[in-house]
Amino acid sequence: MNRARDYNPSAVLALVFSGGLVLASGAGFLVDHRSWLVRLGSLLIGLAIAALITWAWMWPIQKQMKVAHRYLDRLTRISPSELQTDTFDTQLPSLPVNHPLRDVADRLTVLLIEVCEKVQELEHVRNAADIHCRRASDERDRIKAILHGIEEPILAIDQFDELILANPSAEALLNFDATSTENRMLHELVKCEHLVNLLTTTCHRKNTQNCGDEIEITDESGERAWYRVTARRLVADTSGSSESDAESTGAVAVLRDIAETKALQHRNAEFVSSVSHEMKTPLAGIKAYVELLADGEAEDEQTREEFLEVISSQADRLQRLVENLLNLARMEAGVVKVDKTPRPLNEILEEAINIVRPSAEAKQITLIADLSPMYLGLLADRDMLLQAAINLLSNAIKYTPEGGQITLRSRMLDKDVRFEVEDTGVGLSEDDADHVFEKFYRVKKNRDMAPGTGLGLPLAKHIIEDVHGGTLTLQSALGRGSTFAVTIPGSGQMA
Amino acid sequence: MTKKVLLCDDEIPILRAAEYKIKKAGYDVRTAEDGEDAWEIILADRPDILVTDCQMPRLNGVGLVERLRGHDSTRNLPVLMLTAKGLELSGDDLAQRLNIRKLIAKPFSPRHLLETIECVFQEQPHVELAK
Repeated sequence: MNRARDYNPSAVLALVFSGGLVLASGAGFLVDHRSWLVRLGSLLIGLAIAALITWAWMWPIQKQMKVAHRYLDRLTRISPSELQTDTFDTQLPSLPVNHPLRDVADRLTVLLIEVCEKVQELEHVRNAADIHCRRASDERDRIKAILHGIEEPILAIDQFDELILANPSAEALLNFDATSTENRMLHELVKCEHLVNLLTTTCHRKNTQNCGDEIEITDESGERAWYRVTARRLVADTSGSSESDAESTGAVAVLRDIAETKALQHRNAEFVSSVSHEMKTPLAGIKAYVELLADGEAEDEQTREEFLEVISSQADRLQRLVENLLNLARMEAGVVKVDKTPRPLNEILEEAINIVRPSAEAKQITLIADLSPMYLGLLADRDMLLQAAINLLSNAIKYTPEGGQITLRSRMLDKDVRFEVEDTGVGLSEDDADHVFEKFYRVKKNRDMAPGTGLGLPLAKHIIEDVHGGTLTLQSALGRGSTFAVTIPGSGQMA
Repeated sequence: MTKKVLLCDDEIPILRAAEYKIKKAGYDVRTAEDGEDAWEIILADRPDILVTDCQMPRLNGVGLVERLRGHDSTRNLPVLMLTAKGLELSGDDLAQRLNIRKLIAKPFSPRHLLETIECVFQEQPHVELAK
């Protein structure tokens, strides 16, 4: 192509105009050197010719420049998406093939398309990053909400033993506010030394297994509570290496309130202690009298028989204890099959009263059956309810002095059936009445009135309340007697 | 002079067995069925040794010994304590705090109880007492 047209148009214009001027001057001097007017005219004509030639030369260049400007202006207005189409060049003004800026325009177009592609690529990257950011933010909010919702206190530290996370339960229990202080060192925020040591030790150990311990924490109000702490080391990335080799990034601890477990352990220990005591007492009697007999301490036959009688009665006591204990344990564990069928209450009560009648007669106790003439239907496990009625009647016989009176009464209530065992016995103090349904509880001052295990009344209560959904209540006055009242939902159906 | 032994237990068969064994060995044996009864007997006629159960109505064994230790005439009275429980008692602490010569777990042997009493009377506290 014509490379001269690539020159600066101003320089070309100056060059052409100067040439015209020289030609005009030369022509003026050549015509007549004595006539200044002719010379001046010639010069002017030369100048006009030079200007004309210059204009004729420059006009097409300016025209091409305008076309180029329009082309570039239109090119820069095309949107990046339009640039991606194959037909984008139809929107551009036509640029002649021999246009001096055609190469430049073509290169510029290609460059612009590449830039647009890059911009679009970056746009995609930015959008993806935005999505990641949003997801990460949502995830963080979700985890924060979950942590806040967990009742168990949770706290975590980094490898420098600085607190990085604590949920509100942890802050409340350990009495600190992580947001109100710049100081994040765990040992300065948390006063429980045992917990601090457990977390920091877990963080810096190589072993990745959970660390656990039971610790006692005193809260803000001064109340002490037991917690089971499970701590685990945090590691950044375990891919390609075992967790124990991975670098520790901190540790997290979860605290679980074990007050109930501790209370249960305590109750179990108390129960074992009570059972042990109740069993050791008859055993002590048996062992003592067997030893006396073995040592030949019985001086005569009568003494020997007395010793054997004591041994026999203590063995019976032990047997009763074991049987009652097993019955209670079976019922509490639910291993006893409950077979509830519609039954008439009076039939069960009559059977119970016949069973205990010999014991009452032996003590000259008057046993009165004041049973309702109405049909008192209920859904009952016959054997269990019979056992409960016998236990209540036996208890009344044991603690009613000779010549006393016991009344077994049954009545129909609105929707329930009710029976009562009323005695004229020794009665209970208010304090004893509060404890009389506890396992192994026996009223101290009445112990000598009759042998007992302290399990009969708890067993009756369990049968009535847990098995039959009823209630067993006690009204008693010391020295005047007691009334045990049983209320059970009625079934109303005939058996 | 015949040594006086006071036995205190609310379990009558056990009380009678121990009484029988110790009485046959020639000691003057008194019995009480709770801590209050025992305290009255001690005030009326100080025994040479007290053998008491731990769990008793009205006044238990620990309460009785605490009362003894707070009283001039009974501060140094030798005491053996019988107990069927063990969980709630830290034997060493209790024995040390109340100056109890020996805690004897139930069921116990009347023969060993007698040997223990005799050890105390012979002032041989180092001898292995009844198990």
